[in-house]
Amino acid sequence: MVAVRGVSKWFGAHQVLKDVSLDVAAGEVVAVIGPSGSGKTTLLRCVNLLEDFQQGEIRVDGEAVGYAGAGAARRRLPERVIARTRSQVGMVFQSFNLFPHMTVLKNVMVAPVRVKKMPEAEARASAVRLLERVGLADKLDAYPARLSGGQQQRVAIARALAMQPKVILLDEITSALDPELVGEVLAVIRQLARDGMTMMIVTHEMQFAREVAQKVVFMDGGAMIEQGPPRALFADPRTERLQAFLKRFREGYQL
Amino acid sequence: MLNVLLANLPLLLKGAVVTLYLSAASAALAAVIGVAVALLQLYGDPVTRAAAHVYLYVMRGVPLLVLLFAMYYMLPYTGIDVGATAGGIIVIALYFGAFMAEVFRAAILSVPRGQWDAARALGMYGRLLMLIVVVPQALRIAGPPFVNTCIMLVKGTSLVSIVGLWEVTMAGRQIVERTLAPFQVFGGVAAVYFVICYCLSRYGRWLEKRVSYVH
Repeated sequence: MVAVRGVSKWFGAHQVLKDVSLDVAAGEVVAVIGPSGSGKTTLLRCVNLLEDFQQGEIRVDGEAVGYAGAGAARRRLPERVIARTRSQVGMVFQSFNLFPHMTVLKNVMVAPVRVKKMPEAEARASAVRLLERVGLADKLDAYPARLSGGQQQRVAIARALAMQPKVILLDEITSALDPELVGEVLAVIRQLARDGMTMMIVTHEMQFAREVAQKVVFMDGGAMIEQGPPRALFADPRTERLQAFLKRFREGYQL
Repeated sequence: MLNVLLANLPLLLKGAVVTLYLSAASAALAAVIGVAVALLQLYGDPVTRAAAHVYLYVMRGVPLLVLLFAMYYMLPYTGIDVGATAGGIIVIALYFGAFMAEVFRAAILSVPRGQWDAARALGMYGRLLMLIVVVPQALRIAGPPFVNTCIMLVKGTSLVSIVGLWEVTMAGRQIVERTLAPFQVFGGVAAVYFVICYCLSRYGRWLEKRVSYVH
C-alpha cells in the first residue's frame, strides 16, 4: 500500500533522512520507533508530502506521491494532484489540530463535503457513525475547546477516517496526552487495526507498538537501522544501536 | 452656559452624520485595501510584493495631514480631480489601509502551522484551505486590532476639516467663530467622537465574545 524507496531529505546541509526504504502492505500496521530527532516524524510527513524530499520515491497504492520523473527531470506535481493524493492518506497529529471554529461534527464532515464533494446528508450520517465508533456520539455539537485531549484526539481520528483513506499516518498521537487519557485513544487504534486498517504509526509507546504492529521499524540518525516483526525485534535486536535504544528505554521505565 | 451648545446642536449633529459617513466609507475601503495588500505581501510574486512594501512604508512613514495636503494642493496640478469628499475618503482609506494590511498579515501568520497541516492532510489546498480553515481563524485574531485601527480612523477623519471638508470638527470651528464659545462647542465635538469610538469599542468586545471558540 505504501512503498518508500531510497528517500533522502536535507534541511540545508543537514541530511535528516538517509536513503530510507520501507513497505507497508495493505491491512498491515507498521510502527516506527527511534529516539527523538531520528527522522521518524519527518518520514511520516513525507508520505503525504507535508514535507518535501529531495531524493527517492514514495508510492501510495501504486501512485507516486509528490514528484514525477527522476534525476534532472524530477519535478514537483501540481498542488491539485498532491492534494488529491493527500485526500487518500489520513493523518492524525500529536497536537490534534482540530479546527477550533467548528463543532465536532463539522470537523469530521468538512473535508468529505468540501474536498470529496460528498452530499451533506451522507457526510453527516457517516460522521455521526464514526463519532459513535470512537465513543463521542454525545459530543457532536461541542467545540474542540470543550473537550479533553483524549476526546479531541478521538475526534481527529474520526476526521481522518471520514475521508475513507487507504492508509492512516499516526504521528505520536498520545505524546501530548495526560497518562490517564492514553488508554482511550489507543483502544480506538487497536480496534482500527483489528478492522484491517492500514496504518503507519510513529510512537514512543513500545508496549503498544509490540502489541498492535505486524512490523516495527527502528530509525536512528535519519536512517532505517533495523526492521522486523515486533517479537523478534524487541527480544533479539541485532544492531547495537537498537540494543542501546531499548536499554535506555527500559531504564527510563524503571525509574 | 450650555445654551450655546443646545442652540447649535442640529448643526453639530449634521456634522456628526458626515463624520460617520466619512468613517464608514473609508473604513470599508481601508479594510478591502488591507486584505488585498496583506495577501499580496504573503502570496504575491516579487513585483507585487515590492509594490506592497513601498506602499506600506510610504503610508506609515508620512503623516496623514501631509498626505491630505498632497492630495488637495498637489493633485489638482496633475489634472486629477476627484472632488473633496471622495478625495478625503480615498486618502484616509489609503493611510489606514496600510495599518490594516499589517493587522491582517499578522492575523494570517498567527494561525498555527498545525491548522495548515491538518487542512492539507485532508486534501484541502489554495482558496478552499484559506476560506474554510485560515480566514475564519485569522478574522478572530484580527478582530481587536482591527477595531482599534477603526477607532484611530474615526479620529483621523477630523483632519480633513483642515483641508476644507465639512464634517463635525469643521462644524465646530464654524460655530465657535460665530458664538466665541470654544469650551462648550469643542466639548460637544469631543463628545461626538467619544460616543462613536466608545460604541465601536463596546461592539468590538461584544463581537469578540460572540465568536470566541468556547461556547
